[in-house]
Amino acid sequence: MADQPGWQGHVEAELRTVGRTLEVPPPGDLTEAVRQRLEGRAPSRRRGPALSPVRGRLAWRVALVVVVALLAVVIAVPQGRAAIAHVFRFAGVEIHQEPGPVRHPGSNASLPGQRTMSLERARHHVSFPILVPAVFGQPRDVVVSGGGRVVSLIYPRTRYGLVRLDEFAGHLDQPVFEKFVHLGGVTEVRVNGTRGLWIKGPQELIYITRDGSMAAASARLTTGNTLIWGTRQVAVRLEGSLSRTVAVAIADSAR
Amino acid sequence: MPPLLRENPSPVGGVFRCVCPGPVRSAIDDAEAVARARGGDLDAYAVLVARYTLRAHRAAFLLGAGEDADDVVQEAFVKAFRHLSRFRVGEPFGPWLLRIVTNETRNLNRSRRRRAALALRLGAAEPDGEASSDSPVDDVLAAERRAGLLATVNALPDNERQVLVCRYFLELSEAETAQVLAWPLGSVKSRTSRALNRLRGLMVPGEQSRISHG
Repeated sequence: MADQPGWQGHVEAELRTVGRTLEVPPPGDLTEAVRQRLEGRAPSRRRGPALSPVRGRLAWRVALVVVVALLAVVIAVPQGRAAIAHVFRFAGVEIHQEPGPVRHPGSNASLPGQRTMSLERARHHVSFPILVPAVFGQPRDVVVSGGGRVVSLIYPRTRYGLVRLDEFAGHLDQPVFEKFVHLGGVTEVRVNGTRGLWIKGPQELIYITRDGSMAAASARLTTGNTLIWGTRQVAVRLEGSLSRTVAVAIADSAR
Repeated sequence: MPPLLRENPSPVGGVFRCVCPGPVRSAIDDAEAVARARGGDLDAYAVLVARYTLRAHRAAFLLGAGEDADDVVQEAFVKAFRHLSRFRVGEPFGPWLLRIVTNETRNLNRSRRRRAALALRLGAAEPDGEASSDSPVDDVLAAERRAGLLATVNALPDNERQVLVCRYFLELSEAETAQVLAWPLGSVKSRTSRALNRLRGLMVPGEQSRISHG
């Protein structure tokens, strides 16, 4: 890079910025469609009307309905096909819904390459804007991990106890976290006029590296409840012993 | 191979245990998902589909599939599954899949005899979006410059446009771009450099001095 003329680095940086603000409609949920094709239950390539942004939002609701329908079928017909684990993605978080007890990974989890630094320094280490909830103000700890892929804001002693925010460019990248959610614990909420996902109760959370492998050392059980939401440039997961109303208020205050 | 969560293989209990041997376990990485999908495990493949849908869709959309991106990606996932035997163990799944997505996008554009280039557009700015500078005038100028840059990218010859999409909009490395577009690495380098040169003229003259001041 050092031998590049200055103008070239500048054009490249501008192109990356343009790339992050491009209008790209949300994808539909393809897991079920692909499965049906592979099982020979659906004809080749569906040709429906174009997916508008509005339909994109609806598709999300449909995805949740599909989850419920799928499981209902399996409950009714236990000898049916083995498709019991449903997986979907939301704002950079891959969510697995599966029956059974919560698994307990070890404590002392850490993200790869994590470094504690000031908020100001962190802003220079990540490619997305860092949102800070105005209701809490400056976090006590700011941790940048995965070579600038994730920033975590940690508030150890709020009136709600420990509160943690993990922020990342979830719109662009492959899922950053893998999370195991138990059925019925997931609801859609509105955060600042955009979609959010409210997940009740603890889940197993694992960090997925850029090359698609799981960082085993990152596996941990989340505390309290989780709210996930995303904007065009940054995705956030907020975690703590918060009620849904409080969590949404904290998220709404993030600037 | 990176470590898996082998220390914690607790099976999924309850009435949902499947008939297949071994516990159902979703905490798998790409390599294991591919290995299991090769054996016909559609649950394992569903993990890959969920994990890569967004990237694949973004690639298809930006490389010219436009509103048909969902169809293209669905087709690509079906083909990828059927061709998993050709996937080399240890190679990253993402670029391998994106190459199939690119092929499907090209097939689509051939079949409808449309020039691949659909104009890409900037999304509406969000209040929490970019860290804005102190001066609203600078923000307006920056927005205009980016709009101009994108208009020029839209007007580039297909090859150059595609290489810019891969390198800067999908943020792939040169090697990944070569794989995804099925070009030699040298072509990726030369076409990138040619395209960047065409964009050079767009930078306003004052920009040069600003860069040199850091």
